[in-house]
Amino acid sequence: MGTLLKVMTLSKSFGGLQALKEITLKVAPEQIVGIIGPNGAGKTSLFNCLSCLYHPTGGEIEFDSIPLATPTSIASKKRVRIFAFIFLILGVLRLPLFWSFFLPQTFFKVELFLLGIFIFSIRFLLVRGLIRHEIWAWGLMFVFLLSDLCFAIIFLTHLNPSEDIVLTHVPLRYIAMPWGVAAGLFSFYFSGVLCTGKVRRLYGFRTSPDAVCRNGLARTFQNIRLFFNLSVLDNVMIGRHGRMHSGLGKTLFRTRFQKKEEASTEKEGLHFLRFVGLEDKAFDLADTLAYGEQRRLEIARALASEPKLLLLDEPAAGMNARESETLIQLVRKIQESGIAVLIIEHDMKVMMNLADYIYVFDYGILIAEGTSHEVRENQKVIDAYLGGDRGTC
Amino acid sequence: MSLSPKNPHVLFLAILFLAIILPWIPLGPSTNYLLRVLTTAVLYMMLALGLNIVPGFTGLLDLGYVGFYGIGAYTSGLLAIHYDLSLWVILPLAAANGALWGVLLGAPTLRLTGDYFAIVTFGFSELVVLLIRNELWLTRGPMGLPGIPPPSIFGYPLTQGWQYFYLALFLLLVVLVVVVRLENSRIGRAWFAIREDEIAAQCCGISLIRYKVMAFAASAAIGAMAGAFYAKWFRFIHPDMFKFWESILILCLIVFGGMGSIAGTMLGALILIPLTEVLRTALPQSMFNARYLIYGLLLVIMMRLRPEGLIPFQLSRSRKAEQAKARLLGSEE
Repeated sequence: MGTLLKVMTLSKSFGGLQALKEITLKVAPEQIVGIIGPNGAGKTSLFNCLSCLYHPTGGEIEFDSIPLATPTSIASKKRVRIFAFIFLILGVLRLPLFWSFFLPQTFFKVELFLLGIFIFSIRFLLVRGLIRHEIWAWGLMFVFLLSDLCFAIIFLTHLNPSEDIVLTHVPLRYIAMPWGVAAGLFSFYFSGVLCTGKVRRLYGFRTSPDAVCRNGLARTFQNIRLFFNLSVLDNVMIGRHGRMHSGLGKTLFRTRFQKKEEASTEKEGLHFLRFVGLEDKAFDLADTLAYGEQRRLEIARALASEPKLLLLDEPAAGMNARESETLIQLVRKIQESGIAVLIIEHDMKVMMNLADYIYVFDYGILIAEGTSHEVRENQKVIDAYLGGDRGTC
Repeated sequence: MSLSPKNPHVLFLAILFLAIILPWIPLGPSTNYLLRVLTTAVLYMMLALGLNIVPGFTGLLDLGYVGFYGIGAYTSGLLAIHYDLSLWVILPLAAANGALWGVLLGAPTLRLTGDYFAIVTFGFSELVVLLIRNELWLTRGPMGLPGIPPPSIFGYPLTQGWQYFYLALFLLLVVLVVVVRLENSRIGRAWFAIREDEIAAQCCGISLIRYKVMAFAASAAIGAMAGAFYAKWFRFIHPDMFKFWESILILCLIVFGGMGSIAGTMLGALILIPLTEVLRTALPQSMFNARYLIYGLLLVIMMRLRPEGLIPFQLSRSRKAEQAKARLLGSEE
């Protein structure tokens, strides 16, 4: 068992507005967890952070014991940029170190050599600062050293092919050239990696939303976001995108694998539609569905990616009593099939019926948590909803 | 389309049959002229199918398509003149070169959206024309590239109009197969999803940048292949042939026929391109250039009466859904 989703002191601010302040919550596998709160409490912002549409400004998100996002502080981002820039400049300037070895005249030789040593040591310090493990730093410096050597050889053999300085060895040149170019490119790549902040542990990162979905975290939206001009079945088949494997080559040659996969995806799509009770509408355009059906289609599309955790953003909004009753049954069914559900809802009847555990938000702060009974009797919650005596708050 | 959705292939085969026997129908002295017009129409059908992938399927406005057309044409022309390669080598090479430039242009710019993206692609097509015009050592610049050897198939050089018509028809079939296969696959659905709603598409596990680049590359490859055919057919190419106007013309074809629907795009090209020739004879000599006016008028009327084009995307899609229904329910019974 354990926890499926772990959110630790998550914060998100838009300029001066703090949408989420140090939220900590947990979802266990096969659990239904509810989030309630007045409008503007930051519930949807939390969902957007979880599906990585937003990059949090503080805290961490861990899903299925894999970190989804850690924050980037602006200061460290700036530092990375400056580091990368210096690194790049030094990468160009490092050559004198080895040129100086091969220069025939004593003219500038000592000065260049000292400059080379200086550059080398600064580069080493930078690398040490950026990489935690010493062995990697040494390895990287070794690569750079070799690349410098190779560049020096190329430089000299090409610059002065007639003058017999040191190395006009042809085979050596042919080995040196590709290695030098490869190592040089790697050096540029490394600078690029630093620029884009991909040194994850140190400088914060955010998984891309599509990767989040493929990892098993699917969601629906508060304002329905279906693919309206496509058929209902197509919508669900797009939901299965991350579970399919045929790429460009297999598609163009329409291999047996691709045909089989298409056919089985159609079948599975129908299966998910049956699950939410939309099977007879499978071949209509999504545009023509009624409001409640569109909500259920969104759920089917999210389920099609075979998630471990489903985020439902106000699924019962605008539904009548009967429709929300079917929704409650549907969510129960989802839970029974082994999927955890995190649900935002204003309809208290739905919430009290469904949720095993409830978190209450107000102005981006977690004000209460507990089972539905505990939350119902919590004074802070009553105050947040009905407006309490502000003096006591 | 009021034709029965049960047999979608019958109509297609009928049209194909008609196209194949067309050169042999005696039409008097104007047969060659007619074939030339029809070959042009088929060429533009290819181009329209290629362009359709980007604005039609993926929903990105691409105003620089003609750049890839030009790249394909010049690749083909230069390879044919300098290396005397066979047509079957030149076509894939031209397509690959087009796709390469599609990726190079696409990867950094596809993060832009809407109008900004359109402006970048427009700039690209202008850049291609400028490059062709100024790099005299490679392309002979404004002097054009004459003397491209005619294509030969199994050692026989093509000379007759009908041979080129058949070649164009064959290439169109290849393009059509590619586009139809892409449309009815995971990739096509990902493109549609991106067009309909980028955020929802991302949350369904579709990598935006990857599929946008793929769309751009596929479109560019088809455009370049059409350009390669054009160079081998016309046997003379000139930078002015690949001006911005061509991009707009091809965009008009797919808007007229129906953005995103394959049958619509082809129908659009089949109607609008021969229309130029019809107007050439119908209009008096002094008013010849007024044909573009008529084009514009036609598009305005179209936008008023049927803004989604002759065969709208929704219609083609719901027909597809009905076919799927027939297939799936048939298999379950």
